[in-house]
Amino acid sequence: MNPVLVLGGGPAGLSAAAELAALGAPTLLVERESYLGGNPQRWHYSLLAPDLRPAQEVMGPLLSRVENHPSIERRLSTSVVRAELRPKGYQVVLKTQDSTETRDVSAVVLATGFDHFDSRRKYEYGYGRYPDVLDFKEVEQMLHEDRVVRPSDGKPPRRIAWILCVGSRDVQVGNPWCCRMGCVVSIKQAVEVRQRHPEIDAYVYYMDIRTYGLWEDLYWKSMQEYGVKFVRGRIGAVTLAEGGSRLIATGEDTILSRPTEVPFDMIVLASGMEPGTGTKEAATLFGVPVGPEGFLTPRVSDLNPVDSGLPGLFFAGAATGPKAIPDAVTEGMGAALRAFQYARL
Amino acid sequence: MLSANEIRKVVEERNVHQRGTGKKVLDVREEMYHLEEKGELIVHRIRPENRPVELRTLFGWTKRIPTDRLWHHKSCGQCGNIPGYPSSLLWLMNETGRTYLNEPHQTSCTAWNYHGTATSNPVALAAVAARNFHRAYETDHFPLIHCGTSYGDYKEMRKLLVENAAVRTKVREVLRKMGRDLVLPEEIVHYSEWVHAMRPEIVARQKHPVHGVVTTVHEPCHYYKMVPEDAVYDDAVYAGQRPAVPSGILLALGATVADYSTWYDCCGFGFRHILSEREFSRSFANLRKIRPMVEEAHSDVAITSDTGCVTTLDKSQWIGKSHGLSYLLPVLSDVQFAALSLGAHPYKIAQVHWHSASAEGLLSKMGIDWRSAKAEFQEYLRALKNGAAPELLHPAHGEIEKFFAINKGQVLPDPEVVPALSAGSATTEGGPAA
Amino acid sequence: MSIVAHLPRRALTLTEEEAAAPPTMELAGRKRATAEERALATTIFGEFHADSRHREFVLGCLNCGECTTGCPAARFYDFSPREMLQIAQNGDATTLWDAMQEKIWACCQCYTCNMRCRFGNDIAGIISVMRELSVRHGIESTRRALAPFGRSLTLLMTVGTQVSSDMIQPDFFRDWGPFATGSDKVWQVSADIMRKAIPSDVLQTTRSAWEVSVQTSLELFRIYEETGVLDMLRGLDPDLTEMLVDIIEERREEFAEARERFGEELKGMQGPVATFSG
Ligand code: SF4
Ligand code: SF4
Ligand code: SF4
Repeated sequence: MNPVLVLGGGPAGLSAAAELAALGAPTLLVERESYLGGNPQRWHYSLLAPDLRPAQEVMGPLLSRVENHPSIERRLSTSVVRAELRPKGYQVVLKTQDSTETRDVSAVVLATGFDHFDSRRKYEYGYGRYPDVLDFKEVEQMLHEDRVVRPSDGKPPRRIAWILCVGSRDVQVGNPWCCRMGCVVSIKQAVEVRQRHPEIDAYVYYMDIRTYGLWEDLYWKSMQEYGVKFVRGRIGAVTLAEGGSRLIATGEDTILSRPTEVPFDMIVLASGMEPGTGTKEAATLFGVPVGPEGFLTPRVSDLNPVDSGLPGLFFAGAATGPKAIPDAVTEGMGAALRAFQYARL
Repeated sequence: MLSANEIRKVVEERNVHQRGTGKKVLDVREEMYHLEEKGELIVHRIRPENRPVELRTLFGWTKRIPTDRLWHHKSCGQCGNIPGYPSSLLWLMNETGRTYLNEPHQTSCTAWNYHGTATSNPVALAAVAARNFHRAYETDHFPLIHCGTSYGDYKEMRKLLVENAAVRTKVREVLRKMGRDLVLPEEIVHYSEWVHAMRPEIVARQKHPVHGVVTTVHEPCHYYKMVPEDAVYDDAVYAGQRPAVPSGILLALGATVADYSTWYDCCGFGFRHILSEREFSRSFANLRKIRPMVEEAHSDVAITSDTGCVTTLDKSQWIGKSHGLSYLLPVLSDVQFAALSLGAHPYKIAQVHWHSASAEGLLSKMGIDWRSAKAEFQEYLRALKNGAAPELLHPAHGEIEKFFAINKGQVLPDPEVVPALSAGSATTEGGPAA
Repeated sequence: MSIVAHLPRRALTLTEEEAAAPPTMELAGRKRATAEERALATTIFGEFHADSRHREFVLGCLNCGECTTGCPAARFYDFSPREMLQIAQNGDATTLWDAMQEKIWACCQCYTCNMRCRFGNDIAGIISVMRELSVRHGIESTRRALAPFGRSLTLLMTVGTQVSSDMIQPDFFRDWGPFATGSDKVWQVSADIMRKAIPSDVLQTTRSAWEVSVQTSLELFRIYEETGVLDMLRGLDPDLTEMLVDIIEERREEFAEARERFGEELKGMQGPVATFSG
């Protein structure tokens, strides 16, 4: 049996590869970066919501299942540059910096993932111009290193604001979808900050809090136990205060129905999720239908969310839309099963 | 800052997404040609003699900017109380050898009134736009819009006329009653886009270096917040994150363009507020614009590219003294600033004496000897008082043009649609007056 | 013989009491509406929702408030574009009527809200639709809000430019300082001479923004007649409207006379001048 190709080494891809191997299928795991682990690894996520477990603790077992398995062939710093449908599976061309190689595979799992929204595109917030306006991923790194300070002067902040839905639910940047993660990650970050530095005030500006399902618990606790403050309304622009040492967030408190201007030492943007570069490339390469948002579209998204509808081609994780790690892992399992069934036929 | 390619990616994505997500952002220019094929309207084309230059818009679309043979669509607020604004533009055209018509056969866009009092409606606004477009068309000169509001309004009206068949039919009917037809120009062009396109030629003629001058730009709302997909952006200006005009010409001339926190705020003009709620306009202009321009950016001059903005920012400052805000920051249009740095007469051409916040300090900083220019101007006023003929940038119009919108023998692009008129005497083509 | 030679200076018709009261921006309509007002409110509500622009401009709302964050009017008045959009989307006849009393006039028409709106609404546009309705129905507060615009409306309707340098009168524009009119005081020549010093003949008038040819102003008036603007204005101020019609009548005569006077020169010309009869 030719190996099953798993494209992408993030949580979904790792899960798919591990399950395929467990089923006894030879597996070819291709990852464009030089490491496995996807976005959580790339941006050094700190604690993972909702259980606030360190990212290493969650990703570790997943990685070691793949790294130590004899029937998984791992190809890092490699991309697929051509794919052709064969009577059974695909023929693909793998490319590294200095070599190309043609391989026959019996089925394909696309686990190509998402990219964080580039917050510079929402230029009203001054991301990229004001050093103390930060992105999700930078705060994750900060928390990971346990050093919560203002990049501009290295001093600890007294007040931090989180702005939700940056680059999500917004036609002005062309992204009308919800990122599903921004709320819970922001609240988690605010809780982490308050846990370690109770002297820092944490404010979350929101239009809706979407801590769906059991995650609601974290939202409640963030107020009950950690004193995180929630303001309903959005910040429309961030500017520098006179003297340039603090940021001013201009917004509307929509409960009190009044415009506000509040100084902050640091502002964190809950940057959304967009179809990853790999996802867009894979769509073209394999001729997969994409929705208006640019994510891959399963043929029957409710009954069979991991089937592309094309022969031997399956999806897992954030390539089909914003997804949390547990969902990505589950889809990896489902896609592995479906790919295995197809390859065995 | 984003690289040029990243920006392009951004605008293209924005375009694709907005199309795909129900927000109606179609390139009306394409539809315009389909309607022309069906005989529903005439597209006034930019031709080689208009010497077009290509610029890019927010969505990465190409926009052709004609630089020659232009029809000046004047702005009532500029001509009424900042006359140095249009005269500096005409002067720059003479300097760079561009021809134009500056006629009495134009109405304003009437959108100041609409946005201020709503005593109009979209059909009337569209008909007014189309009447002016037709007049430009029959003279075979391409319309160049002086006012940001006219520019925004005309883009909205073009969209309306393209998308709404009922409005189109009604407007065509009205126009036909006065011997006109429905014409839409290939592009709606703001004069600041002309300036941006002409940067190399303008800078080549610079006489007064402006390296030491700190400018702050007020971006006119109606330039880029109305029909935003058609505003011009340039990777070289704020990495394409803000409109290219009027910052582009300032950078090209060598001035410093300083950032300030309220750059995106409106000026406080308000259309009706500037006349009937001036306390609002004045507070807003002083507190939200002038103060940050001076205190954050240490600006020597505020530059903008629209009628209402120059008016509000400039005229609101004098009374500021009584509120303890005595900034008196000079406020000029981009063309006045450019003309001055090319050596235009500060009073005869840039007409800085109409401004409330004195520009003389700035003139000194630019190395302009305004004292002798002022004495000269005083002399000139005395001569005018004694009946001397005024100095003109283009020949005066004849008596007959006070009544009739005649066409003196200009060759029209399509004699089938608008019959050519018999040959006549001299036109009012621009060029230095004899 | 200039077209704008004798434009009268007058305001829209108001009682003295009305004219004396400064326009305010508080929400009116707290008092109980009369039956007549309620009926009018219902009519307006119907017309508002029937206007095709309503469907195009009001798409939906997340109540995010981003429109309000950039709104200049929201800083100084009891006004917010989010509220206006909410009223346009979900309001009933009474809330719409209330908003149309004064709030609609707080908006600066700067379009910042439109640019920010994540839903892609045209908020500035829908406010204009409300304003148009309030003008068309000549509601009281609108007459008050538009009272100071008599002169600019007259200019607009008759010559199609909305300011002239002689509008900037020191008594009304004292706060603009001594230079706002290219000042005759400072330069010691008359306002006419100050205008003469502008290097373009079409700008050398004090009575309009630029000299507008008679044909052009007649064409403009024709547009107003044909597109219902004149009727709309009649609803607001019948006296002003009649006066405008009179002024235009004179222009038409002037035009006819000129046609005879320049008969020779005009002969053989085709195109607009030949077919347009005023
Ligand atoms: S998950 Fe929260 S932050 Fe993200 S788009 Fe949805 S509502 Fe906004
Ligand atoms: S257009 Fe009106 S409502 Fe919108 S931001 Fe400007 S002032 Fe506010
Ligand atoms: S910006 Fe748009 S979606 Fe948000 S509150 Fe205003 S109208 Fe509603």
